[in-house]
Amino acid sequence: MITSYFRPRTLDEALALAARADAVVLGGGTGVNAQPGRAPVVAVDLQALDLDGIRADAGRLRLGATTRLQSIVDSGHVPEVLRELARLEAPSTIRNAATVGGTIGMADPESPLLTGLLAFGARVGLARVGSNAEHPLDAVLDDRHLLQGSIITSVTVPMGGRAAAHGTARTPMDAPIVMVVACRDADGTVRIAASGVASRPVLVDPQRLGELAPPADFRGSSAYRAHLAAVLTARALASLGGGEPA
Amino acid sequence: MTLTLTINGTPRTVACEPHESLRTVLRRAGLYSVRYGSDTGETGAAAVLVDGRLVSADVMLAAQADGHSIETIEGLSVPGQLHPIQEAFIEAGAIQSGYSTPAMILAAKALIDRTPNPTEAEVRDALSGILDRETGYLRPVHAVLRAAAKLRGEEPAKVEVAHLDRLEGSTGAHRDRDDLAPIAPRVVPSPDVPATRVVGHAETKTDAVKLAKGNPAFTDDRDLSGTLIAKVLYSPHAHARILSIDDSAARALPGVHAVIHCGNVPRVRYASGGQSYPNPRPYDQVSFDNKVRYVGDRVAAVAADTEEIARAAIDLIKVAYEPLPAVFDENEALRDGAPVIHDEPDMDGAYDASRNIVHHIEARTGDVERGFATADRVIERTYRVHQVQQTPLEPHIAIARWDSDDRLEITSSTQVPFHARRMLAPLLGLPVKRIRIIKPRIGGGFGAKQEMLIEDIVGHLTMATGRAVRLELTREEEFMSSRSRHPQTVTFRTGVDAHGKLTAQEMRVVANTGAYGTHGLTVQMVTGMRGLSSYNCPAKHFDCDVVYTNIPVPGAFRGYGAPQALFVLEAHMDDVAAAIGMDPIEFRRLNWTRVGDPLDMAPQLGEGDVEAGEPPVITSSGLEEAVLQGQRSIGWHRRGDPDWRQPADRPHVRRGLGFAMAMHGTAIPGLDMGGASLKINDDGSFNLLVGATDLGTGSDTVLAQIAAEVVGVGVHDIIVYSSDTDLTPFDTGAYASSTTYISGTAVKRAAEEVRRQIVDRAALLLGVDAASIDLHDRAAWSADGRSVSLAEIALSTLHQQGQHQIMGTASHVSPDSPPPYAAQFAEVEVDTETGQVTVRHLVMAVDCGVPINPVTASGQVEGGMVQALGYAHCEEMVYDEAGRMVNPAFGPYRIYRADETPALEAILVQTLEDSGPFGAKAIAEIPMDGVAPAVRNAIADATGVRINGIPFTPERVWRALRAS
Repeated sequence: MITSYFRPRTLDEALALAARADAVVLGGGTGVNAQPGRAPVVAVDLQALDLDGIRADAGRLRLGATTRLQSIVDSGHVPEVLRELARLEAPSTIRNAATVGGTIGMADPESPLLTGLLAFGARVGLARVGSNAEHPLDAVLDDRHLLQGSIITSVTVPMGGRAAAHGTARTPMDAPIVMVVACRDADGTVRIAASGVASRPVLVDPQRLGELAPPADFRGSSAYRAHLAAVLTARALASLGGGEPA
Repeated sequence: MTLTLTINGTPRTVACEPHESLRTVLRRAGLYSVRYGSDTGETGAAAVLVDGRLVSADVMLAAQADGHSIETIEGLSVPGQLHPIQEAFIEAGAIQSGYSTPAMILAAKALIDRTPNPTEAEVRDALSGILDRETGYLRPVHAVLRAAAKLRGEEPAKVEVAHLDRLEGSTGAHRDRDDLAPIAPRVVPSPDVPATRVVGHAETKTDAVKLAKGNPAFTDDRDLSGTLIAKVLYSPHAHARILSIDDSAARALPGVHAVIHCGNVPRVRYASGGQSYPNPRPYDQVSFDNKVRYVGDRVAAVAADTEEIARAAIDLIKVAYEPLPAVFDENEALRDGAPVIHDEPDMDGAYDASRNIVHHIEARTGDVERGFATADRVIERTYRVHQVQQTPLEPHIAIARWDSDDRLEITSSTQVPFHARRMLAPLLGLPVKRIRIIKPRIGGGFGAKQEMLIEDIVGHLTMATGRAVRLELTREEEFMSSRSRHPQTVTFRTGVDAHGKLTAQEMRVVANTGAYGTHGLTVQMVTGMRGLSSYNCPAKHFDCDVVYTNIPVPGAFRGYGAPQALFVLEAHMDDVAAAIGMDPIEFRRLNWTRVGDPLDMAPQLGEGDVEAGEPPVITSSGLEEAVLQGQRSIGWHRRGDPDWRQPADRPHVRRGLGFAMAMHGTAIPGLDMGGASLKINDDGSFNLLVGATDLGTGSDTVLAQIAAEVVGVGVHDIIVYSSDTDLTPFDTGAYASSTTYISGTAVKRAAEEVRRQIVDRAALLLGVDAASIDLHDRAAWSADGRSVSLAEIALSTLHQQGQHQIMGTASHVSPDSPPPYAAQFAEVEVDTETGQVTVRHLVMAVDCGVPINPVTASGQVEGGMVQALGYAHCEEMVYDEAGRMVNPAFGPYRIYRADETPALEAILVQTLEDSGPFGAKAIAEIPMDGVAPAVRNAIADATGVRINGIPFTPERVWRALRAS
């Protein structure tokens, strides 16, 4: 339960608060507030830090950490595939509050947007006391310690690639049981990311899909998810072949 | 902490705790339009505009809104004037219960402010965060488009009934329908139906304005300061004995006023289903038992000053449980050695509690053995239907208090205020006369609220504390501890002769009624009735065991046993047609019931007091026309087009079309009773008091139209009040598709009595014979064209001469239950590699007699089809091995959103049902019946694979495709 609320005015103030063991950093708050724990926590709201905004920057697209998902959907700069994945991430009332930084912080294992960002080779800007660094999104999702005492400031993706997303879901806008996003950079590098096949969205090697051991739930057994990963990866790669620029 | 919020343009300073949501703080500030649907932000009933953006106030801290500008619906309308978006929602018929209407209107405002000319897809996306269980989204979406047009200065056409050409027996060309407005109600008129002035017209709802304005109208919108908050301790075990309860720490917590449980509440047995006296047995519940029978069963309740204290007190109650083996599957519960769920010594009224059999139901007509013996083919299949929940957006909520006369007043979101009062009295040890139940507006019910579910808890707590007490279930509690639809395993066997005529039908059902038997008997009787009534057959057999298990309790859910039966029947009829090589519609047509055919199962499976012996006979049917209309709208001819069935650009996709026929009942004959009272006011308006319980369906409006038609006024001259056990006549309540037919006839009779009194005074004032007087346009008219207004008549009778109150009271019970018929069609795409099913189009053509209000009737069909689609496609209550529900939240429990709902079309095929008011039959439940089998049969059409269980989630379909 949130016992104190802070709205720091500077990144330094925010970092000082985030260093507390009981700190919870709020992007839009939609995830944290939906699942309040019983333990007392201190909310650190980043809304006053001016971290939002989308801009092109030296061949990469930079999304400020508090950029709302709806801004991604509405942006003319963001590749179409990522815009649609941001739409699939949450309905209108949530997209208008939830942020891209918060999406990374929550690390929902079924997040379509995270799956897309992984495929796009996103890098996450992390501020710590006395240092700023960019880490691959995959590393941030892999090592949650990276976020402790840190503030996510930005997400960047390279521009000029092609991408395709294929998912299977109960209904058209439901969280996919498995989603595969494939992306080919301007330099020809291909990355494939999948949700629903591990405890978090992961980068996958199309030659080694058989090594996946997806966690099961009532919507999909492990074997079914593995089957979907193979089918959807093949479709995503096929779509990349003749697809328009993302 | 202290916040500064600009609310609807006015800066306000409000105090709050850091953890409080914006919804909580806005409601405390008196903005009651911001409504609770869940804590996770998925429902959108609490959506508001923050700096012009639509956000869920459930998952925004009030603190996050500090310094920001907030708009709610209260800021949208100036007194005496509606905003164009509010007007558009009213005109389009987009409002049913209205619980989430303020949020939808705000979504529209945010969209139109940014995008003055939005596309339908943009509107659907904007509404995606606001779940609606009522409308199917069709009318809200088009209301937003209509509002945008208005705000651009255009004048959209009035929403009027579109009359479709009758197809039956017609060979000529028919008008193209493509240019019909999507929300124009489609009516196929019958030449038998006389012209009317109010009935049959697209009137706006009588409660629409207050709902569009977000006025405080629901249970939780009453400002009762000092009300205590109740919370319930629920069982963590699927089956356990309670060895002891230590409530001392909870009682010692400051701010706690009462803790109640089996140790301090009298043990009075009852059945919680909201049904007529005497409630069907067994009486297998008590308010708090010393045994728990499912995860979510009640253990104790507290009343405290705040929600936080109440929650803390719940955590402090120490309960020692002795866990017992549990059983969840209905077939396993029947096996020898299965845990006995009701082993209490005072258990009584079950068929065989020692074998977990609550009821055994058997019915037969004709010589079934001979029917099968003489059949050319006998086909048998077993089907499984699963557990789903009603999920009204407003959860169960009740507030109790002692009134100034020391009577217990309970405001409750209930479909059955009169049943609840009668059932509550013995539990609380109060006489009925000391209890008053008030039903305000309800945010949907769908049968979940045909139950005395929580009123006893607030009653006990108010009696224990002397204080007002409020209990509202959270969404998770609603999932785990309210009610749901009965799962069943059904084996259907059909004998058919060489020509395709049925020779015998047998239906063997094992039904799962969970931990308690409420509604278990009557739901399953309806399953038998509906499963064996659609088709003529000389021999029929129904055999059913209703079984206790340790799952959360099924109860009444729109359709009430019929959706289960008709999934099985209509899947089976398609299977039989395929097996004998007949067209699925021709095979049904050869066998379906027509006017004059008997409802031969009714004497045995009718719930009410139908005389055993001669079965009732079908008196009206528009089925043939409905099938032709539906075939045309869905494009049934495409079944034969290979290019359509297999899209060239997606080789893994197959398309298919499916059909299901549905036949339902209209009210419970000989049992359902409604009363109505109508009186005139000085200005010639009328108060209509009805016990009938509008739960968002529009029944108040339909009843007002019936009264208005009789007394010659407009619908908005009738002020409807429903319902209050102190003020309105008795009504059994809103269930069994009864309100229009039963309560409507009561209203018509009361109005006819009023009409006689008006005509008598008019004859006196006009100096003519009463027989020559006609009432219309708020006046009484003589044959020579002179008139006297109803206001003059009212003033004359109330003040001037021979004074008396012009009023009438009447009630009605019907010996008949004339069946509405429907033809349901579905178009699907199946991804054969993944099993994903996408439903593209649903069309339902329904004969509901004369629709009293074609707009609200269409809304019932549209919303019902989408709710039924959830049953077919994506909704399921899922448990882990310990019986804990794993998906008690929207999202994991998937209900359809605005941005994914398929195209919908409702077609109303008129017939004149002589036993109904102005020719009406029922419409409320039949939309639940046909979608699941139509989708199932469409999947079979697309892939050749016949799947015998729902829902059609991707892995199930994939496994079925692989197995074939």
